[in-house]
Amino acid sequence: MDMTFVTNLLLASVHMATPLIFLALAELYSQRAGLVHIGIEGLAAIGSLTGFLVSYISGSPMTGMFLGALMGILVNMIYAYATITLCAEQTVYGMIINIFALALASFIYRVYFGAGASLAQVNLMSTLSSALGITSDNFFVELLLDQTLMVYLAYGLVLFTAVYFNKTKSGLNYKAVGEYPKAAATLGINVIGVKYVASIICGALAGMGGAYLTTCYSTTYVDGNVAGRGFIALAAVIFGRWSAGGVLLACLFFGFCDALQIRLQISGSSMPYQFFQMIPYIATVAVLTLIGAKKAGPKGAGKPYRKEER
Amino acid sequence: MRKRIAALALALAMVLSLAACGGDNSSKQPGGDKKDDGQGSDKVYRIAMVTDSSITDGSWGTVTYNAMVDAATERGWQYECADAIAQSAYYDTFASYCDQGFDIVYAPGNQYTDAILEVAKEYPDVVFAQLNGSMGTPEKAENGNVMVMFPDSHEIGWTAGILAGLMTQTNTVAFIGAIELDTTQGKYAGFKESAEYVGKQEGKSVTVLDPVYSGDFNASDKGIEFAKALMDQGADVFFGDAGAVDSGARQAIDEHNTAAGKVEVYDIAQPADLLGQNECIICSQVTDNSSLVSMCMESVENGTFEGGAVYGTMGNGVLSAGKISDLVPKEIQDKYNAYLEQVKAGTFMK
Repeated sequence: MDMTFVTNLLLASVHMATPLIFLALAELYSQRAGLVHIGIEGLAAIGSLTGFLVSYISGSPMTGMFLGALMGILVNMIYAYATITLCAEQTVYGMIINIFALALASFIYRVYFGAGASLAQVNLMSTLSSALGITSDNFFVELLLDQTLMVYLAYGLVLFTAVYFNKTKSGLNYKAVGEYPKAAATLGINVIGVKYVASIICGALAGMGGAYLTTCYSTTYVDGNVAGRGFIALAAVIFGRWSAGGVLLACLFFGFCDALQIRLQISGSSMPYQFFQMIPYIATVAVLTLIGAKKAGPKGAGKPYRKEER
Repeated sequence: MRKRIAALALALAMVLSLAACGGDNSSKQPGGDKKDDGQGSDKVYRIAMVTDSSITDGSWGTVTYNAMVDAATERGWQYECADAIAQSAYYDTFASYCDQGFDIVYAPGNQYTDAILEVAKEYPDVVFAQLNGSMGTPEKAENGNVMVMFPDSHEIGWTAGILAGLMTQTNTVAFIGAIELDTTQGKYAGFKESAEYVGKQEGKSVTVLDPVYSGDFNASDKGIEFAKALMDQGADVFFGDAGAVDSGARQAIDEHNTAAGKVEVYDIAQPADLLGQNECIICSQVTDNSSLVSMCMESVENGTFEGGAVYGTMGNGVLSAGKISDLVPKEIQDKYNAYLEQVKAGTFMK
């Protein structure tokens, strides 16, 4: 195994982990407010399409990213209204969001570009190194500088989230809503308000995670390009024990496993390729088994909050 | 109670809005021509396509959809398409079109074989046209209502492999697949043997890296990472059979070439002429799927349909090479065309 293999594996891991970080943070913010959201995949899909379409029309990936986040918020407001105001079943509405948003994204693309049209491609967001005019094959330069603004934002958000949830009064209040909403309400915390804010943050981050795929990663949009990342993000939050640092490690681990299976296929091993493709999933099962359920998630997660109930 | 009703109404509204999105379920009728079926009645023939790819993937899905549209337009048939269909829904989607009275159900890929055989048994009056199926499939159809349109995957591989063998500077070429289908394996086998053979004729020892598989036709991100990893292995000419994954690979190759300041890594596209779509594309292997679909339609119109297999080769004109990029030197273009003539004549590698 040479150094090129290792360095390129690590670079690929970072690339593949970044959209997962956005999506897993979206799930984390949602769950921390007591909303288990299995519709992240759908939110990412509509964010991905919006990012692509806006970038294609305006020529600005940044605008695409912004509107992708906005679209994520808009669609997630359906989930928020149904689960917070109407106290509907969160899992059911999460699944509805998945079906609805994926189909809506596909429909919008088809209407705009037409069926059977030639492949539409967009320019991707510039990396810091290209903006600075730096060209180098050095691993550290590539790792630290050859990244788009969104990569730095993803890692910055992880840091912010860790500090916010653990070191600020507002963050502790936020977590209290996810743990014991009724107790939080007796302390004067606006439980419904926090849940709506959580839904806005969740929608924005999920939309950005999807838009990342089409404004920073791939120049094309294809139906299903989120490829299960929304569900992997859900696993990453459990895997990361509902903490920002844990979620980051989980996403990097998933990204690493995905990058590893690609490179192991190329290594010329006689092992069937399906075995390598199983690696990320086997690793998930193995780690979740090892970690166990010592620390459960927010105690109020998944339960509707009815203000009038005692 | 009021909240429950409101939640239910919201869910219903979303479902209904989706139905509205799906709106245009009426058959597309290019010419609206009506055919005389010989019994004095004007019959409007209809064909439906079922595919697990997206017809907007700019590759396999798009090309096979356009093949149906072209053939239907030419013959005045109505057409419908259901794309991005999950494997678990193959059977139901096929059956649904049969229930609607479509004359031909068209499925581009070997992965539909089991579902086709199952539905073909239950709908003996519907013709099933499978592109890239397995040779033995028509014999397995109890009612003889399955036709397999079979572009010679080996020759497809040759078309790309010959050019790869001629163009490689690093003497290393690569192949990316999505799923290990028979046809994909056939294309890889043809690509490998022709690249090695032509390389030998040119006095070089060409290595064809083992095929890699994304496991999904829509994973363009995997295409990017595969291409990067294969370029690390020294590959400088790529060929693929992986839909949107190929698009991702081309993106990575273009990015590499931009960083290098010159086009030094190439891609050979398929199954339509995609020259110009990406800078790295130097030529395309072209399959005239439209003519194969049209052949099937004609036999249904004439009442001469008998099932069986229709083969597409360089010799009968179904397979060909697309336009060649200026990145390919004139001398190599001439050699390439000479090799293609050998393939057409059946004398290649003999």
